[in-house]
Amino acid sequence: MELALTAEERAFAEEVRRFLRAHPPETFPVEGVDAGYGSGAHSRAFLQALAAEGWLAMCWPKAYGGAERPMFFKLVLFEELALAGAPFGPLAGSWQTADAIIEYGSERLRREVLPAIARGEATFWQGYSEPGAGSDLLALTTEARRDGDDYVIRGHKIWSSHAGIASYGLVFARTSREARRSRGFSMFVVRNGTPGMDIRPIRSLTGDVYHHEVFLDDVRVPADLRLGPEGEGFVALLNGLDSDRFWGRFYKGPALARVLAQLVEHANTTVAHGAPLARDPVVRRRLASLAADIAALRLLFWRAACRMRDGAPITYETAMAKVLADETGQKLARLGMELLGMWGPLRRGSRGAKIGGELSHAYLTSLGHTIAGGTAEVLRTTVAVRGLGLPAEPRARAEAR
Amino acid sequence: MDFTPSPAQQLLVATARDVLRRHYPIERAQALALDERGFDDTLWDQMAELGWPGLLVPPAFGGSGGSLLDVVLLVEEMGHACLAGPFITSAVVATSLIAAAGTPAQQKRVLPALAAGERIATLACLEESGAFDGDVALACDVPGRLHGRKLFVKDAHVAHDLLVAVRRGADLAVLLVPADRAGVTRLPLDTMSGEKLFEVAFDGVAVGSDDLLAPADAAAALASALEAGALARTAEMVGGAQRILDTVVEYAKTRVQGGRPIGGYQAIQHACADCVRDVDAARGLLHAAAWKASEGLPAAPDVALAKAYAGEACLAVARRGHQILGAIGYCEEHPLQLFHKRIQAASVDFGDAALHLETVARSIGLV
Repeated sequence: MELALTAEERAFAEEVRRFLRAHPPETFPVEGVDAGYGSGAHSRAFLQALAAEGWLAMCWPKAYGGAERPMFFKLVLFEELALAGAPFGPLAGSWQTADAIIEYGSERLRREVLPAIARGEATFWQGYSEPGAGSDLLALTTEARRDGDDYVIRGHKIWSSHAGIASYGLVFARTSREARRSRGFSMFVVRNGTPGMDIRPIRSLTGDVYHHEVFLDDVRVPADLRLGPEGEGFVALLNGLDSDRFWGRFYKGPALARVLAQLVEHANTTVAHGAPLARDPVVRRRLASLAADIAALRLLFWRAACRMRDGAPITYETAMAKVLADETGQKLARLGMELLGMWGPLRRGSRGAKIGGELSHAYLTSLGHTIAGGTAEVLRTTVAVRGLGLPAEPRARAEAR
Repeated sequence: MDFTPSPAQQLLVATARDVLRRHYPIERAQALALDERGFDDTLWDQMAELGWPGLLVPPAFGGSGGSLLDVVLLVEEMGHACLAGPFITSAVVATSLIAAAGTPAQQKRVLPALAAGERIATLACLEESGAFDGDVALACDVPGRLHGRKLFVKDAHVAHDLLVAVRRGADLAVLLVPADRAGVTRLPLDTMSGEKLFEVAFDGVAVGSDDLLAPADAAAALASALEAGALARTAEMVGGAQRILDTVVEYAKTRVQGGRPIGGYQAIQHACADCVRDVDAARGLLHAAAWKASEGLPAAPDVALAKAYAGEACLAVARRGHQILGAIGYCEEHPLQLFHKRIQAASVDFGDAALHLETVARSIGLV
């Protein structure tokens, strides 16, 4: 047992902190909003600054321009970036896509897309959900029809994050009607701006645009932009979803630790009833309790990371950690809104806002977190069925396999 | 990062699981919970042969000089078995206190016997406030006579030695006195968990300078011993909650209602999912704190986090366990109630959530 970072990892963390001091995160332009997951806003400039340090490709095989650093370096980078509130929104998605391309991508994807990811130029939206296929993803109706050397994709995707500003969509579509329910799906890497693709923004309850719906009207995609073997997309997707739950939430803990530190500072400097708010025993206890939740969360993610590193199976670990991440985030946002009182609802940039008006945004965005990427209900079922071996309800059986 | 115990620790855990499964079935735990003495001498002797009471005793005194992490992994198994008895009291708390602050003569006299399981020692620390905040009012001149009482002294009925925290002028001091010294009376408290707690009264007990633990080390050693106790009871809670989880999952798979196992219903599935989350999260904090303490790093905030978190999380597991098991879990015959009561007792022992969260509050910078 060794429940601390290694000397090399600590040295790398220090290197990242030096980089952040030299390149203050708040000075980078952003194109897309912060959806509250802990990875901040979508900033290509920031991504490219990370790329210039060689960090985007650092864990890839040397054959693809990587430095073959251990995967934990990515986690160290995530922790430091999240603690600093840096705008690395699309990074997890780019990394996941790169890993999938390295594992089973075509030569063309490796030649065209990987270098763009390494340079911090390529970002991706996920085209998974559809209006009629949310938690029941296999109900999707988007079809990719083979036509010579191409596929022709027709369908309607929704809840695709940052689709309006990303470079490519990862479109999940049915390639066979004959195969049984979980077979016959494939994944495609579709460049934004491909004729027939119509991306429309969806304004969320925060007032910002994060999600989009995407209409695919006979979008023609070369066959070598299919990611993985035809018909095997669902297996890849399931692995991807497990991985998504991990990579899409790993940085939530440190990001919450940052918000907690802001609330501690607020409690220390705000006088209520003649004494610092921090002296209120209820406030102290609730903030301390959140600190314990955040520490526990961090360890669950690191434990899952160790299993991934060691090649041990992941059955329920990432699903469980994702739910805890999102529910802890909601708990912290609720507490923050309570502590801020009348200042809580003030928006970012408002006159008089405290903690930069961050809490109102965190509170609202957190409402979506237990829905996006697998609802808390679906994931609790996953934990029970895949992790504890409880019998699946009839409709959940396919998912559990 | 590496969450895997060492090969030696894995062996310790595997041995513990095997020995406790064979010699301490749950029916034995249930019977002892209703027994006045509540202590399995035969099993204690077996534990001593396996070297468990000597884990924290330095090799020079017949122990194995193990770490708190070793102890935590072992006590998780004890919690899983619902083991009753003075292991934490004597082999963890009292032993670490004497190992840290006993005089050479005291260590030579007591530690080998503690390591061999031949003596049992217990800590008499709490008073009227019942709080583990280091506030000791019982005053004693040394040499002199001790008058007063201590509360919630564990396993005093089987203890050979008492470690009594006292106030000596402005300083905290700890006395090591035989439990049968004239003037010592042990009065049992009746607990719902079957744990053996006592009020210990001192009626003019003669105290000499030989009874004092090394004065310079006593306060720090007491704090460390309380920290070790907090870690051990956290391990007990995590092991107990794991057993509850195992029990309810097994029940959910086999109990059929409405034509299928109740574990096939989402309401039950989600309750079970929350149980595994609570157990895993509590265990993560426990191991992180124990690892840090074992590495000699400052671990007080980590221990506090772990104890506070586990207290709430493991009790939540127990309460959810009752809901999942339904009526059968309400019966004395079913072991769930015993695990629940033990977890509840452990959650307030060596500092409740409020005390530990205050430590955490300071560590995160609240003024």
